[in-house]
Amino acid sequence: MQVRLTELPFDPQHEEAAFSAGRSEMGALVSFVGLCRGESPAVRGLHIDHYAGFTEKEVTRLAQDVAARFDCPDLLVVHRVGDILPGEAIVLVAALSRHRANAFDAVRVLMDYLKTDAPLWKRETGPDGARWIEPRAEDLARRAEAEGKRL
Amino acid sequence: MVKLVFLGKFRGLARDNAEVALPADVGTLAELKDWIVRRDPALGHAMAATQTQVIVNQSVVRDFSRRICEADEIAFLPPMSGG
Repeated sequence: MQVRLTELPFDPQHEEAAFSAGRSEMGALVSFVGLCRGESPAVRGLHIDHYAGFTEKEVTRLAQDVAARFDCPDLLVVHRVGDILPGEAIVLVAALSRHRANAFDAVRVLMDYLKTDAPLWKRETGPDGARWIEPRAEDLARRAEAEGKRL
Repeated sequence: MVKLVFLGKFRGLARDNAEVALPADVGTLAELKDWIVRRDPALGHAMAATQTQVIVNQSVVRDFSRRICEADEIAFLPPMSGG
């Protein structure tokens, strides 16, 4: 289980390669990368606020919960905090498992939790200034669905 | 002295994330919330208008009758939006 917050840009492929190196007992590596989207009206960038110490602790707890639920032996979370430019990776979630089904489920459900339960707050800067992003109804619905899955 | 921490959209509305000496009549978390509303109406309004989680010394607290202790770190968290 590895959880890391970083203020610096990271290379998801490099992170994934390091995470899976030497794990020949695993039959599946599934990953998801969330990118900072530059859409119309032009988003100039994101800022992600966090609560130092508490955020790491909570994300680790969420990852441990998902790992136990899906019998997924190893998970990796790398999440940016601070200022992020369009095109940069915001988050990487990766799962290593003996079989693919557990790894797919673990990545999807952990992402659902990160959207609504991780102590992170996103502020978007566009042409009209900055605004804090509220959790979307769609994210809350996905999280509720994730909660019920395989319980 | 206690340390108050305001996160996300609360951070910009708060005077600062700093150590403060609370008045003698602020003894519980509920009284602290009332005091924040009196001191910073814009921040108090934003906290009342949304679901606000209170974290004391890095643990979630739901009982607002909890008494505040010297050197507590009390954080106010708006709804989260990571990922």
